[in-house]
Amino acid sequence: MPDATQQEIWWAVARSEEVTARKPLAVDIGEQPVVLWRDAQGTARALEDRCPHRRAPLSLGCIRDNGWIQCGYHGWMYEGETGRLKEIPNMKDQQKFPPVYRAQAFGVYEQGGMVRVCLDAKATAPTLHDDPLTYVGTAHVSLGHQEYLDALYDDPGLVIAIRGVSFTPYLMSELRNQDGLLVMERSCQWKGLHWPAPFSSDFPLTVLTQTHPVSGETKLTLRDGEMNDLLHAVIAPVPAARGVTAIRWRAALGVRHPGLRGAALRGLNPFSVRGTVDGARLRVTRPSASLHGEDLRNAMCAPELTSEAGPLTPVETVAA
Amino acid sequence: MLEVADRLSDNEALSGVAASTGSGGPAALNAINHWVPHNLVMRDAWFPLAHATGVGKKPVRRAIYSHPFFLWREDGVAVASEFHPNEKQSRASSPFTDARGRYPVMERYGYVWGWFGQPESADPVHLPSLPFLPPNGGLPGHMIGTVRFDCSAPISLENLIDLTHADFLHANITGDEKSESESIETFFDSESITMVRTCTGKSVAPVMKFFSGIKQPTQNIRQVIRIYLRSHCAIAYGRFTPGDDVPLFHPCVPETRDRTRLDYAMNTSHAGLLFRHVMPKASYMVSRQDSSMTSPQSPRYMRDTNRKDLHSRFDAPGQRYRMLMMDIANRQDAGDFAYRDDVSADCSDLIGLRKELFRY
Repeated sequence: MPDATQQEIWWAVARSEEVTARKPLAVDIGEQPVVLWRDAQGTARALEDRCPHRRAPLSLGCIRDNGWIQCGYHGWMYEGETGRLKEIPNMKDQQKFPPVYRAQAFGVYEQGGMVRVCLDAKATAPTLHDDPLTYVGTAHVSLGHQEYLDALYDDPGLVIAIRGVSFTPYLMSELRNQDGLLVMERSCQWKGLHWPAPFSSDFPLTVLTQTHPVSGETKLTLRDGEMNDLLHAVIAPVPAARGVTAIRWRAALGVRHPGLRGAALRGLNPFSVRGTVDGARLRVTRPSASLHGEDLRNAMCAPELTSEAGPLTPVETVAA
Repeated sequence: MLEVADRLSDNEALSGVAASTGSGGPAALNAINHWVPHNLVMRDAWFPLAHATGVGKKPVRRAIYSHPFFLWREDGVAVASEFHPNEKQSRASSPFTDARGRYPVMERYGYVWGWFGQPESADPVHLPSLPFLPPNGGLPGHMIGTVRFDCSAPISLENLIDLTHADFLHANITGDEKSESESIETFFDSESITMVRTCTGKSVAPVMKFFSGIKQPTQNIRQVIRIYLRSHCAIAYGRFTPGDDVPLFHPCVPETRDRTRLDYAMNTSHAGLLFRHVMPKASYMVSRQDSSMTSPQSPRYMRDTNRKDLHSRFDAPGQRYRMLMMDIANRQDAGDFAYRDDVSADCSDLIGLRKELFRY
């Protein structure tokens, strides 16, 4: 179960296209199971993935034509916005139920091709206006949420890949708190023949990452030396059950880079999140940026600074 | 007709929990609100460990609450031991076996039954009544089988006693929920609970449409679930009009606290040729459908929680089942292992058995 701070986060638990009116989708926020679907109006809905009748997962049920979700066990039907029980099929004579007859509802907000869920149903959704990015994917990694982010800080190549690009250990800018986000910029090279990174005087590329200190949602920008944005990506790691991290991501190409290297970048899928992490490599990866990140995160999430930096709603900043 | 579990005592009449016997006192309420079936261990009971035909000279291994039961035959007589004959005895024998490590065992209804509890308390009078099975066994092989559930045995039995689940999980076999009327009655004593579901004008079970040749669009159904609490054994007896009688012995042996073994026997001897052979094998499909729900459901009952389950009037038998199980557990915790009611008394009338079909 996410801690108290995480309760207020709008977690990007699914990509928009994953949530349909045909079949419920089961996701987790930590140990909290959540079921997602679209109602008859196409609005994404989120309830606890647990029928309050006999605790069966609602995600094993189905979606009715009127947009209610129906438990597959005994057929109890729930409305998505409030979680209220609407119908018990074997009790046609009584279809009004006391208010306590409800499944737990969560806040849902959809933006930028991501369906976000907040465990606090009364939380106010942020107002964002990002267009969905073209390339998409989902990965589940056997690594805890914070360990996943630490790997991203210390060696992004462990967890992500950009076609034709290799990450170097050298930072142009170490992690810092910028408007409530953890921001850093890493030098990168084009793949191919060149001086190894320790002997290179200059690097042609950088990756800028802006990370929410609690959710870990990260906006990534690949830039060339002319400060052209070659690629944008949003990586949304969410703590899932059993210490797994679920990552939804979207990416899009930016300015067209000329030549063969630019062509390589524009290949089939220029960006990807690795589904597995090389444990041997991870084990010997020296913690560097992640240690600094931990200090920054602790400072940013301290109560006296929270209101100043407003770190609990930085989804707005990430996507801005 | 709805109630939250903690209001049960106020609403028993409304919910349909027939108070034929039993107290329904504070311990009973506790059973519903704090139902942790994995913690229940029923002692001094006969458990159907294996089909009699499955036990021969070579030992087969079974378990009750993780206690090993090795079954084999010596001169044709079934024996049950906590040690394999070839096992180097490196552990002390349990208090549930004699000096040779043997459990009390008996053979009846086509099953080898093992006694789990004080050996000196083992008495055939505590064997559940199963009047639709030949006492000396002998059902053909196609009427018996084994399925397993990845859940606690009481979860599996509670699933069984609320048959509204069949209208959704097993609709493709037993038919959907559409019916003209439906009623639920519950009868119980300290050792058993019986639920009678009566439906009129219910959609015909597809399995009967296809394999019994039922042409009518609807049928009347009387379904009985009778559970012998300590032995975790259930009778599921359905009378379908038009249609066949389907008596099923549905034992849920708690091999471990979260795994259940079900050596079933469905006596379809009096059904048509096709249905007689097909219906018992439907258990393989039905059990997987059940397991799809009880398997994820079971861990959610493994620890006590303050969150209360919601109930409808169809859950009255399930609620009563919880109460009765907790009552026995409480009594056993207090050292009282006595049977207060007779489980071996003929239950033919209670389950509405058509005796003319099952004369043994």
